Amino acid sequence: MTALFSIRDLGMRFGGLLALDRFAMDVAPGSIHALIGPNGAGKSTVFNCVSRFCTPFAGDIVFDGRSLLAEPPHRIVRLGIARTFQNVELLDRMTVLENVLVGLTSHVPRYIDFLPGARRIAAERHAVRQAEETLDALGLLDWRHATAGTLDFGRQKVLDLARALASRPRLLLLDEPAAGLRNREIHQLDRLLVDLARQRGITIILVEHVMQLVMSVADRVTVLNFGHRITEGPPEAVRGHPAVVEAYLGRDAHA
Amino acid sequence: MLLSPLLAWVVPEYLLYIGNVLMMDAMLALGLDVLLGWSGQFAFAHIAFFGIGIYGTALLDMRAGVPFLLGMPLSALLAAAIGFVIALAAIRLRDVYLALATFAFALSMQWLIRTWDSLTGGPDGLRIAAPALFGIVVGTDRRAFVPMAMLLASMLAAMLHLTRSVLGRSLAAIRDSEHAAAASGIDVRRSKIAAFTISAFCAGVAGGSYTLFGSFIHPDDLGIWQLVQVLTMIVVGGSGSIGGVLLGVGLIGVLPELLRLAPAQWLVWQELAYGLILMLTVMFLPLGLRSVLRRNLRTTVPPRTRRGTPTMEHTAP
Ligand SMILES: Nc1ncnc2c1ncn2[C@@H]1O[C@H](COP(=O)(O)OP(=O)(O)OP(=O)(O)O)[C@@H](O)[C@H]1O
Ligand SMILES: [Mg+2]
Repeated sequence: MTALFSIRDLGMRFGGLLALDRFAMDVAPGSIHALIGPNGAGKSTVFNCVSRFCTPFAGDIVFDGRSLLAEPPHRIVRLGIARTFQNVELLDRMTVLENVLVGLTSHVPRYIDFLPGARRIAAERHAVRQAEETLDALGLLDWRHATAGTLDFGRQKVLDLARALASRPRLLLLDEPAAGLRNREIHQLDRLLVDLARQRGITIILVEHVMQLVMSVADRVTVLNFGHRITEGPPEAVRGHPAVVEAYLGRDAHA
Repeated sequence: MLLSPLLAWVVPEYLLYIGNVLMMDAMLALGLDVLLGWSGQFAFAHIAFFGIGIYGTALLDMRAGVPFLLGMPLSALLAAAIGFVIALAAIRLRDVYLALATFAFALSMQWLIRTWDSLTGGPDGLRIAAPALFGIVVGTDRRAFVPMAMLLASMLAAMLHLTRSVLGRSLAAIRDSEHAAAASGIDVRRSKIAAFTISAFCAGVAGGSYTLFGSFIHPDDLGIWQLVQVLTMIVVGGSGSIGGVLLGVGLIGVLPELLRLAPAQWLVWQELAYGLILMLTVMFLPLGLRSVLRRNLRTTVPPRTRRGTPTMEHTAP
């Protein structure tokens, strides 16, 4: 089994803070790979390095045999990597449909604004149809003309996911998708993630504090603390690992 | 549309003057809103590009004999070119730094116009010779009205196209979240540069249009006071929407004319009035009057069930 995505000895500093310290992780194609760790461990920083919002001082990030560090942020999705955000980065003044259309950007040719009217309109129609399919699959179609900022929190998170999925990624990075969701919504998310991985073959890296979800969907779990990987393995093995219990002591120690 | 030449003939000259000023303001404000309302870039070099449009068109005509129909687009292109160069530096800045740097540029352009008096007339101002369109001398409010309407109509058409284009959508996405935009494949730097350039071009056109009916320009007309006026129009009407900007231009643009009816000693309060209007709108109605109107018109949005309270631990995504 060769990795679709690997992070090699990544080092990232914010001023004096060493946020990632020789962090490494290999993700198998089609798997759901959870990345867990206490608050401030550096999980979101890993994602921000992949998105190229942060530039690590050491190490490499390789997707499909290609280093991402040479790419600018907007190229990442074109390579097949989409993400959601921990603090829901919604396009809140735009409509739900427009949010998903933005997610389709990587499939729309850059010169489209210069095409003659009829071809532009046809391309736009096609994009709208695709966006509506995505919204329908996630149960948001009825809200397509609503302003995104007016949705309730649960739906905002689903919309963030819809925007990411619209790009038809091969690798999906989810930053705490279950945070703030109610139990019923977490169950739906559980089924959705499994469906995305098993039916559509999307590889998923899941950053999540809700252990019940991690234990239920993850094929493999990497545990991060203070920017360093403390262990990695199948969920059952990681759960009882002494270092993990210690890292989580004081919060979620029972998870 | 057919009526407008007729109207231009019958309506009193004074009303036509107000109409021309409003149309020029509309072009100026629509251009600034490409940055403010569409891309969320608080850049204030706009008034300088407006000045380049006025002085460029007037001087090309008077000093080099370049006719309006060529000189105005050339001046707008010059404004766009300078806007492009400014953008290369401006995309590294944000928020208050961007506002300060671009405003400083506007002030230095004003200084340049005031100082380079051999070309611009400097602090004496510049008397603008009436330009000719197709051999017909314009220069009066009556004759300028129809060409102004045509210019504004073309700009409105271009703006409508922009709002429906992929670039327009990308700019709106950048305004709402640069991170989500970039992660979705939008080239943030490139889009911002495009917005700066388009915005400067519009300001250049607005400036050029002034030479159609204005007979005099002074460097003092290109300062913070004019900037505040345009900002007030955009903010009061509603930034990020063509209708909102036009509404604001209409409301705020007629204000000085209404104030004319007030006793002369009140006029000194005029600038204070704009400042207050701007401040109060920003505080209590950040999306402008349009948002109030829209709220009452909106019907299709499903009711919000529960207000989300996302935890904002830090601002990085
Ligand atoms: N842009 C930034 N500038 C400065 N410090 C940062 C920045 N982003 C993250 N950090 C710091 O880096 C460390 C790791 O943060 P990160 O957001 O990656 O943690 P996390 O594992 O995602 O935590 P949480 O579970 O709370 O989301 C923290 O100490 C954080 O304060
Ligand atoms: Mg995080």
